[in-house]
Amino acid sequence: MTEPAISATNVRLEYKLSRSNIGSIKEYAIKTVKREMNYESLWAIDDVSFDIAKGEVFGIIGPNGAGKSTLMKIMARVLPPTSGRVIVRGSVAPMIELGAGFNNDLTGFENIVMYGTLLGRTPQRMRERAFEIAEWADLTDFIDVPLRSYSSGMLARLAFAVATDIDPDVLVVDEVLSVGDAAFQIRSTERMKSLIERGASVVIVSHNLDTVSDLADRAMWLDRGKNLMTGAPLDVINAYQQTVDGGHG
Amino acid sequence: MNTTYYDSDSARKPLASEVSNLWAHRGLIRLIVTRDLTVRYKRSTLGIWWTLLNPLLTTGVMWIVFGNFFRFEIPGDTPYIVYLLSGILLITYFAQAVMASGSAIVNSAGILTKVYVPPEVFSVSAAIAAAVNFMISLAILLVIQLVTGVGIPWTVIFVPIPVLAMLALTAGLGLLIAAAAVHFFDVLDLTGVGIQLISYLTPTFYPISIVPERFQWMININPLYSYLTVFRELVYGGAGAELWMWAYMLVSAVVVLVVGVYLFSRSWRRLVILL
Repeated sequence: MTEPAISATNVRLEYKLSRSNIGSIKEYAIKTVKREMNYESLWAIDDVSFDIAKGEVFGIIGPNGAGKSTLMKIMARVLPPTSGRVIVRGSVAPMIELGAGFNNDLTGFENIVMYGTLLGRTPQRMRERAFEIAEWADLTDFIDVPLRSYSSGMLARLAFAVATDIDPDVLVVDEVLSVGDAAFQIRSTERMKSLIERGASVVIVSHNLDTVSDLADRAMWLDRGKNLMTGAPLDVINAYQQTVDGGHG
Repeated sequence: MNTTYYDSDSARKPLASEVSNLWAHRGLIRLIVTRDLTVRYKRSTLGIWWTLLNPLLTTGVMWIVFGNFFRFEIPGDTPYIVYLLSGILLITYFAQAVMASGSAIVNSAGILTKVYVPPEVFSVSAAIAAAVNFMISLAILLVIQLVTGVGIPWTVIFVPIPVLAMLALTAGLGLLIAAAAVHFFDVLDLTGVGIQLISYLTPTFYPISIVPERFQWMININPLYSYLTVFRELVYGGAGAELWMWAYMLVSAVVVLVVGVYLFSRSWRRLVILL
């Protein structure tokens, strides 16, 4: 048996919510002296363990605020876990909140290079790929135009095109299948599927339970940072839907 | 993809991790530096020429006030304008580097909370951008030295030494401030005041001779005085920098950089969560 692409063991992540809302050093000093510093710990991810095999599509479902996006960010290395351990074997393409670092004053070309480099690719490679990326996103005519003149749909297309212009070992996807107009949605879904066919492991978070049951090999139900259930997508979705219908969600 | 294996438990070695992180992201650093230099003036008509025009205009204003109204006398036969411009350029470099590098992580929150980039990349890039900016604006000083007949001594080839020392000093300070600013935003306001104080304690526009002897120590303990004296000696043959100034410059650069990076690497783990 080969090693899993992602192994998460007892992962916890703590957010410290300070009730006293300290914004300055002075307040901090005063409140420390007065012993008024009361932190409330919020465990956004609470003791979650799972393995994702190579080539497996793993869906994560759960209500708002369950910690789905936080868990994605831990796998994408953005947030280090407070305790526990995450191992990711292979290159990761994070597709969470696309378009990080887009700059309105720079052209489409310059933004393609910058965004791709932020995602871990080299500037040379991005310069070579920029025109093909723009072509795929239907933005060839806009490649030398500053981003301020782009519509929000164009921005989303550009970001998606850059983010998926690789052959990653692991794809971390957060609700990005609903990008752009209907025609672009079809093409972007196709591209996602071709990445999956090429053997990438995929972690997918979606509120759309049909997407999860269509694509995923296995699913996890996350609620308040806890892993409530892992198993076949339909079983997990059914169990989750029962609580929603029962009025707990 | 730079990293094909990520283990959240792998220990981060202070210093060594930063050096390898920065090296691995050198392509990104180069992009951020060029973006910093071009985007700043992208919306203005004169564009990058502002890099030259800005210190020139500041110097013009101060030359009118301190060169004519106050009539400061500079030791030796150096024209006041050369003395003034060299001081303003170096202090501007220091102020820009520390301020930009200190606010870089807070300002990059939008990126750091979405993709993985070691935060120190943004801080160090900002300090490098200020250094490049300084090297470009050095051209006006050299032109003015030629115009005023001061000329350009051969020692100018050693100017990169104080420039690199300043880069180390400001990057170290910037990392410290950047990490602190994530916890307390008002660190940045405090930094502004600190920069102003240290600027006035550096003889940029006044001659060192006007400082009463009992306050002289305040100038001497200010490391920027050493940087400026060394820089002036190399760039136009200004009053000799003593050996202790060279030593103070180099030692302060190394110590501040090492301390800055070390303290930064102890706090990095919680940085992004707090952004």
